[in-house]
Amino acid sequence: MTSGELTPREERQLRECYAALHELAATCSVPSVRTAARAAVAEVHVALDGQALDFEMYTHRWLAEG
Amino acid sequence: MTADQPFWNPRTETMPREQLRAWQWTKLRRAMAQARGSKFWADRIPEDITSFEDYVRRVPLVTKKDLVAAEEIAPPFGLLPSIDPSAAVRFHQTSGTSGNTPLRTFDTARDWAWAVDQWCTILHGVGVRPGQRAILAFGYGMFIGFWGMQDALMRMGCAVLPSGSMDSATRVRLLVDYQIEVIGCTPTYALRLLETAADMGIDLAADGNLKTVITGAEPRPPATVRAIERGFGAKVFDVAGMTELATVFTFECPGGPGISHIIEPAAIEEVLHPETREPVGYGERGVRVMTGLGREGWQIFRYWTEDIVIKRPWHECPCGRTWDWYEGGIIGRADDMRKIRGISVTPVMVEDVVRGFTEVREFQTVLRADRGLDVMVLRVEPTDPASARPELGERIAAEIKRTIGLLPMVELVEPGVLPRFEAKAVRFHDER
Repeated sequence: MTSGELTPREERQLRECYAALHELAATCSVPSVRTAARAAVAEVHVALDGQALDFEMYTHRWLAEG
Repeated sequence: MTADQPFWNPRTETMPREQLRAWQWTKLRRAMAQARGSKFWADRIPEDITSFEDYVRRVPLVTKKDLVAAEEIAPPFGLLPSIDPSAAVRFHQTSGTSGNTPLRTFDTARDWAWAVDQWCTILHGVGVRPGQRAILAFGYGMFIGFWGMQDALMRMGCAVLPSGSMDSATRVRLLVDYQIEVIGCTPTYALRLLETAADMGIDLAADGNLKTVITGAEPRPPATVRAIERGFGAKVFDVAGMTELATVFTFECPGGPGISHIIEPAAIEEVLHPETREPVGYGERGVRVMTGLGREGWQIFRYWTEDIVIKRPWHECPCGRTWDWYEGGIIGRADDMRKIRGISVTPVMVEDVVRGFTEVREFQTVLRADRGLDVMVLRVEPTDPASARPELGERIAAEIKRTIGLLPMVELVEPGVLPRFEAKAVRFHDER
């Protein structure tokens, strides 16, 4: 793929990946997994923002959840 | 193997203007909602903003002084944070030059990932690719400087040689020994490296391998760019960023010299008349007012930056991006402008003339009052003092008179007398 646009499949994969990571980041009790998921969420969020697919502020919710 | 894609984010770099505007509005609405968590911003931003027009009409301009005052109420961040600063993974602060209180900011992991991605947008856009080697010549301190570029290079798969504590001679050796292809530094420091290399008998254009020079943190005139490009044998790209935004927001496009695209999905950039504070049109000089669209923790809305810019429409650049751009980048500072006998002079105006003389190694401008008359004194350090005197001073004075309209007193000084700078240079002193 060289057009510079995501295919519908790639877009779906990106969204699903973000949702899965977000859930792990918010709920997982294993520190190493939760930490890795939170770092990955930040990176994948940037990808979503760059494709104008999603944009959100989320860290305050994690603070509230502990 | 995929073909080389010139844009980091093709979708948002080339989207039609109306879609870009809609995407900015989506982000601005979420940013304003997030700002309800900040005592400072909640008091300034009405909850019922309905459009961009409504936003610029009802949200007041904010200055650095306002932000510093809000932080001083309860240091370090005072009333500004939109979320608990305990979520931060980085702290930065402005340089606090001239004895001013620094402005302090923080980034969450999410914010920093976003900030780094803006740097990736720039680096990829100017041709930096995985596998290249880079060096960043800055202090690696609390000043945000090139921190974002460091992380962006690593994220892209480039190798970074950290050179924070090294002197200029050591950095010159690294450039040659590692055949470094990318460097990030201030324009002043790029000239300093060239001067050091010359003293070491090294021709960096011939012995080095630099392809891309990223300069920032200071306005720099075309004559300085030409000197750097000639010395390094590399292409210079100017970028502009600020601690208040966490990252960079404009970069010089390969589509043409002096075309500095605004990363519009990252910031809303207004240009206002310096006195009336009304919007000015494309092609008119004004002060840049910025709203950040990225951070969740330390946000900024309608910030009066003091940067002087001239905005041009996107379609006047041939690169294909739909982002507007600034002609010549940040061309000066509103608070740098000085009147001398009725003539407006900025540091960049003087530098543009002086850097046109290859016989000049370093210089300093001093404004003085002499028996009631304002005078501009230019202290010049020649590259070769033996052969330069005295007609070099006369030629520089004549050229400044011709281009700026003011005849300065030019004093030639011995090599090494004038200060050298690594970060933001201070060559302009008003002693009146």
